[in-house]
Amino acid sequence: MREVYAIGSAMTSFSRLEYPLSEIAAYPAMFAMQDAGISKIDHLYVANMGGGRVNGQTGLASAVVDSLSLTPAGAETIENGPASGASALKQGWMAVASGLHDVVMVIGAERMREVNNLEATDFVATLTHPLAEYIYGVTLPSLAGMFTRLYMEKYGVTARHLAMVAVKNHGNACLNPFAHLHQPITVEGIIDSPEAMTNNPFVADPLRFFDCCPVSDGGACVILASAETAKKLGKPMIRLAGVGQATDTHCVHERAEPTDLLAVRGAARQAFKMAGVKPSDVDVAELHDAFTILEIVESEEVGFFKKGEGHLALERGDTALTGKLPINTSGGLKGKGHPVGATGVGQAHEIILQLRGDAGKRQVKNAKIGFTCNFGGFGNNVVCLTFIREK
Amino acid sequence: MALEIYAYQCKKCGQLHYPYRMVCKKCGKNKHNEFDPVPLPKKGKLVTFTELYTLPGDFAVATLWLGIVQLENGVAVTGQLRLPKPKIGMNVIGQVEPVRKSEFGQNLGMVFYPAK
Repeated sequence: MREVYAIGSAMTSFSRLEYPLSEIAAYPAMFAMQDAGISKIDHLYVANMGGGRVNGQTGLASAVVDSLSLTPAGAETIENGPASGASALKQGWMAVASGLHDVVMVIGAERMREVNNLEATDFVATLTHPLAEYIYGVTLPSLAGMFTRLYMEKYGVTARHLAMVAVKNHGNACLNPFAHLHQPITVEGIIDSPEAMTNNPFVADPLRFFDCCPVSDGGACVILASAETAKKLGKPMIRLAGVGQATDTHCVHERAEPTDLLAVRGAARQAFKMAGVKPSDVDVAELHDAFTILEIVESEEVGFFKKGEGHLALERGDTALTGKLPINTSGGLKGKGHPVGATGVGQAHEIILQLRGDAGKRQVKNAKIGFTCNFGGFGNNVVCLTFIREK
Repeated sequence: MALEIYAYQCKKCGQLHYPYRMVCKKCGKNKHNEFDPVPLPKKGKLVTFTELYTLPGDFAVATLWLGIVQLENGVAVTGQLRLPKPKIGMNVIGQVEPVRKSEFGQNLGMVFYPAK
């Protein structure tokens, strides 16, 4: 198989965007082409979860490839729930690695704020089992709430630990002009103050408002190419070196150990093995913190910390911007936002910026190896990616 | 007759499944819908729970208590809770009731009460 490099990368702001889904997809593509210095591609993948349901637009990739005047390049829409973005990157990687294509554009785009928050939550809840979960009113926040309660009971994670994730990621988001939330918060303000029950109400007990990511619109694009093409462009050589994916039971209640996220563990293991690196080699990581608890648990399951000790690493400051292993320098889903289909591509964009040394005020010094974890369903379909800067 | 929800038992190896699936998760040999329906037992223990405050639009209540319950035969299910003081590990007893109503009709599901 051939080696695959990221030659161009861009994103829109993740926020509320007042333009159509196809344009949310097209803008970052135009900027990524400019970034790469190319005007033609061989193939386009567009990751999107809700176009058909939320925006009344299906066949998004066909609309976008034409809008960008890139026809007759092949184009496909990829749907894998909230992990659609990393899934599309995986497809792009396969296309270049196999030799089928030389330059592949991978876009992630979502426009969720066209509907109200309740409808958006209900749309994402259609990921759950229709007869054994959805009918009860189960939503992703409720699955996360039940998971958090068990994790607290078993490993001693507290509401303060969760708030520390939110505080850290809001802080990082403040350094990211493209993030949805530019709102510094403190543990005292959202947990201890007399106003905490008003400014940080419960969403799915024990998870509160500031434990949950915002509902965002947004798009991101990464262009992948073979080594030969990448060298000609004279850009920093950022290799997509490891790709991993694993699945788990559709219903959370069917898992033998409900505090395990086996798909995260499996996907990460593959992504590290393929890249030939260990979790301890990673300099910067973007983990899928749709809920604050997930950053803690994923940091354990991917192998950065021992099971049940992620919250201790957080306490020590290991995952802060200045820590040993900064996590979610972009602000994460919590601060940067979570336009579901775009999230995985947005994560890759942040890692590419970090490895190029282009992350501005949130730059991690000498970052050479980056990692992303994109979490679909409630952990039933997870895609992890490892990126390495070669020179 | 009391309403029932069924688990599905593989005719080849005896493994119970809930919900229904096409192929047995244990032996993998069951390829022709060879499952026996077995009514879910009603008694179980509460594994975890949450009180959900942001509900899908078709629920006309302020909050919804949801939980995972491990039933007597080892099968776990998700359900709604009517427990005054839910606690992990407590004994509960379930019954089949309407759990969601929409313009298309109503869904029946498991609702759990404190075990006496």
